[in-house]
Amino acid sequence: MKLSLNWLKNYVDLDGISTDDIVEKLTTSGLEVDEVIDQKKIYENFIIGYVQTKEKHPNADKLSLCSVQVGEEEYPIVCGAPNVDAGQKIVLAKVGATIPNSDFTIAKTKIRGEVSLGMICSERELGISDNHDGIMVLEDEVQTGSSFSEAFGLDDVIIDIDITPNRADAFSHVGVARDLASAFGRKLILPKFDMVETDQSVNDFAQVTIENDTDCPRYIAKVVRNVTIKESPDWLKEKLTAIGLRPINNVVDVTNFILYELGQPLHAFDLDYLAGQKIIVRSAGKDESFTTLDSKERKLIETDLLICDAEKPVAIAGIMGGENSEVTNKTKNILIESAYFRPSAVRKTSKKLGLQTDSSIRFERGCDPEITIFAANRAAYLIAELSGGEIAKGTIDAYPNVLKKKEVSLRYDRIKKVLGFDISKEKVNEILESLELEIVEKTEDKIKCSIPLFRHDIEREIDLIEEVMRIYGYDNTPSISKIGVSVNSKEDQTEFGVSIRKTLTGLGFYEIITNSLLNEETANSFGNPVKVLNPQSFEMSHIRPSLMPGLLSTISRNIKVKENNLRVYEIGHIINKINDEINDFSDFDESDHLLLAVSGLADFSDWYSNEREYDFYDLKGIAEAFLEESMIGGRLKTKFNNSSDNLHEYSISIFSGKQKIGEGGKVISSILKEFDIPQDVFTFDFNLDELKKLKKEKEVFKDLLKYPQIKKDCAFVIDNNINFNTVEKIIYENGSKLLKNVELFDIFESESLGEGKKSLAFELTYFDESRTLTEEEVEVEFWKAIESVKDKVNAELRGK
Amino acid sequence: MLDRIESAQKGFDAEISEVKDTASLEEIRIKYLGRKGLFTELFEEFKQLSKEDKPKYGKILNQTKSSVQQKFDEVKDQLEKLTSDSTDYIDLSLPGRKVELGSTHILTQTLNEIKQIFQALGFSIFEGPELESDHNNFEMLNFPADHPARDMQDTFFVNDNFLLRTHTSPVQVRLMETRKPPIRALMPGKVYRNEALSAKSYCLFHQVEGLYVDEDVTFAELKGTLVAFAKQFFGDDVKYRFRPSFFPFTEPSAEVDIWWEQKGKPGKWLEIMGCGMVDPNVFENVGIDNDKYVGYAFGMGVERIAMLKYGVSDIRIFFDNDKRFLKQF
Repeated sequence: MKLSLNWLKNYVDLDGISTDDIVEKLTTSGLEVDEVIDQKKIYENFIIGYVQTKEKHPNADKLSLCSVQVGEEEYPIVCGAPNVDAGQKIVLAKVGATIPNSDFTIAKTKIRGEVSLGMICSERELGISDNHDGIMVLEDEVQTGSSFSEAFGLDDVIIDIDITPNRADAFSHVGVARDLASAFGRKLILPKFDMVETDQSVNDFAQVTIENDTDCPRYIAKVVRNVTIKESPDWLKEKLTAIGLRPINNVVDVTNFILYELGQPLHAFDLDYLAGQKIIVRSAGKDESFTTLDSKERKLIETDLLICDAEKPVAIAGIMGGENSEVTNKTKNILIESAYFRPSAVRKTSKKLGLQTDSSIRFERGCDPEITIFAANRAAYLIAELSGGEIAKGTIDAYPNVLKKKEVSLRYDRIKKVLGFDISKEKVNEILESLELEIVEKTEDKIKCSIPLFRHDIEREIDLIEEVMRIYGYDNTPSISKIGVSVNSKEDQTEFGVSIRKTLTGLGFYEIITNSLLNEETANSFGNPVKVLNPQSFEMSHIRPSLMPGLLSTISRNIKVKENNLRVYEIGHIINKINDEINDFSDFDESDHLLLAVSGLADFSDWYSNEREYDFYDLKGIAEAFLEESMIGGRLKTKFNNSSDNLHEYSISIFSGKQKIGEGGKVISSILKEFDIPQDVFTFDFNLDELKKLKKEKEVFKDLLKYPQIKKDCAFVIDNNINFNTVEKIIYENGSKLLKNVELFDIFESESLGEGKKSLAFELTYFDESRTLTEEEVEVEFWKAIESVKDKVNAELRGK
Repeated sequence: MLDRIESAQKGFDAEISEVKDTASLEEIRIKYLGRKGLFTELFEEFKQLSKEDKPKYGKILNQTKSSVQQKFDEVKDQLEKLTSDSTDYIDLSLPGRKVELGSTHILTQTLNEIKQIFQALGFSIFEGPELESDHNNFEMLNFPADHPARDMQDTFFVNDNFLLRTHTSPVQVRLMETRKPPIRALMPGKVYRNEALSAKSYCLFHQVEGLYVDEDVTFAELKGTLVAFAKQFFGDDVKYRFRPSFFPFTEPSAEVDIWWEQKGKPGKWLEIMGCGMVDPNVFENVGIDNDKYVGYAFGMGVERIAMLKYGVSDIRIFFDNDKRFLKQF
């Protein structure tokens, strides 16, 4: 909300306090200042000048050469405005002036050969209207040499503050003045006025009936007759424009003025358009609709509250009035509404209609049901003053549901318990009273406060403590200088993630973090995604069911900037639906995954190496190293999928029992095409929630081997379609516990071996932890293995 | 005779000093020390001398030859050393074999730094789901339905009861419901806000939330703890302020600003986190005794802190994952 400092000063004496101090105090007492606009500073180099002479520019048809006099000095100015003339008083932006709302600063220039030391301004250039037809020509009375801001009363400071949802009371100049009065120890001054009423009673002109007193506890009406609708006087227009509002007419401007002065939203009806001159406050009927002031038809439901006349709705309560009863230039008689509506009722309707107004935003946070009378009277007084109208006698005050002030107690020792330090009882009482929180009971240990109805946020003891502290100043409160740490052991659920990231960094991988919101088509092709009800855009309508799309997009994006050689991974949650309807956490699966990828060149063409692209075995090696380094224990089984599925051309899956913990392979080309990736990509996905369960505790130290190992080599010629691991398994199965390792050290195919044959060469390692083996016993073991391989896969032993 | 010896020596000295390679050295050897070389000739001549002349010249001839031989050997050694050096020469200026190191994302690095500080202050670390219930994300945290406080966090809903969590605070709820105080916890994670993508906001960001519930927790301790964090993260001379704010789940609530100066720009206060004392309504919701226990909570955005620390002005670059960006950290 924008505040005018000049306006604020009507309600609290801020003499002797600098703008900086005011701004600082607002922020440190909970009304955060967003921006401060000091008009004097903005118009620093704008002064009133007199155009002494005007000649045609020698080198340009449309330009004039003016001599502008300011006091003793004369400024040569090149001006392009058609209406500039000698004898005018004008606003001159001198060298150094910055045009408001722009970055343009006036400098000394030469325009077509003629020196210009400034600019004669239009209203638009001064930021005071949209008029840019020509320069702004001033009245003769204006003193030349005076500053523009002084001459036009633009000496205000505009302060933009953020109001948190709890501080409805601060949504007006008086509300903010109350906080400042308390913070600076000054007095709040409410506006005074003498209202003159006619003899004829308001009840002769209007009636009010409240049918729904839950949503409308109080409705006040005031009538002003025989008004003349016209432009508002300058003082009112200036106040409104200063805080960014557009003046409309004297009646509407007064209602807006009161809203920003007191925080009470008002509505002015054209009384002659209220059928039966009646106001009925009721809930909307089924399928009722209503056209609001902005010419939009609004469909209503039964929980919406309407202001109606004898025949029809005339306003949506607390949100917006209707076209059918709005104040126009012809309006003669006015009914002013000053009501209190239940906050959540207004909010519900405003949310549902997607219609938020200055009025609704105040009602939904909670207005002051007690200021309604004062506000109605003040509005009537001002409207009568500005429009020549007559105020009907008295006020209609329908208050069927009287709201009572709450009483809240505060134990002094609780302040110390929560804050950790004492504030004297006197200080506590002083602060609360300065905020108009009346102390109704006082004992040695505690007080009881009566809470004014404009403070919807104070309901409990803690709320009073907060008020005390807010005004006392958060920065004036001490903080401890030593921190006690409990002796209990610490948990860290992120530890596994931290350690695998270290491993992957060591393996040369870059971590990426991608958007978890995807478009529908992409999301659907990678799982069973959950849809977002209210997405920002179609591109981000579904929650990722897989890390794959984010990773492939990253690869694609990098290739476009010539970063083709990639080792990347992402760790993050993926979410897949289990049931179509999500009513419970069991209806979807959210799990933590790791997806890693290699793509592009594994080895570069360099002075020491030849170029080589990543292949499946790079991926597999990395996956194996990763599993080992991450200390994944238990018996893992690998399944080989030589045929293509919807993700991979070929792949392997790793299982622990029946639980799949990881899967990786070569991404199929149709997906790569989808993501515009022109090179092979190999990915491996791990379910980290499952992996975490398999993580081994730190192993105890194993003694180093004291006895020699014996290594034996052999090579087999077998059919090409027999997997390495089939042979490996046979060797292990036919070895005793002395066989400790089987290593494949060579593989080749050649014509000399025969069609469809390959050779696999193994090194077998034997040892015993407790003794030296004899050559003979190893020989027996070794040959047993060889014979069984020959036997089971029809292999031939080579070279022996 | 004497002249001839002297001139042989002079000739040798002159030639050997000019020697550049083994070939010219070999020529010198043949010319002076070879089987038909100058010194062989001189010795032949010496044999012809008379008995009385022999002692006179023999000594000089022997001395000269051995000094020439010695000089020759020296030069030969040097030359061999030189040539052997160039055949085994290592060009140490060649680029090394490339080793490409990976890195964790800068947001992870920033988070780790934050975690380490709080771990040292005795906080345990917990995580929770991103797809949360409205109950845990809002209701339990004192955001009633139809309350304007809900506008503070634009929400992606999945339906009336489920949403993408807007803060890590539901992890607080989960902890307080299942554990007994004292609870001293740090809760990092992804959170989502339904905001248009821009340089300043993204649809998701990473939050770190802290919670401490015990019998004697105070606002003064909250302040002290966060000041400790600010000093450890930004340096001992960090200038900070606490100012009142509003969060439904804390009362009183505060925001913490730090004074930030960049070269060539005027300094300004920048908000780095929100905090406060756990609201009694929250304790009531999770079943913690309000009279016995007090708690504090705080939360900060990792992106915001990283942007400050590393001078990043557009939040979207964190999620672009351009390798040229990733490599910088």
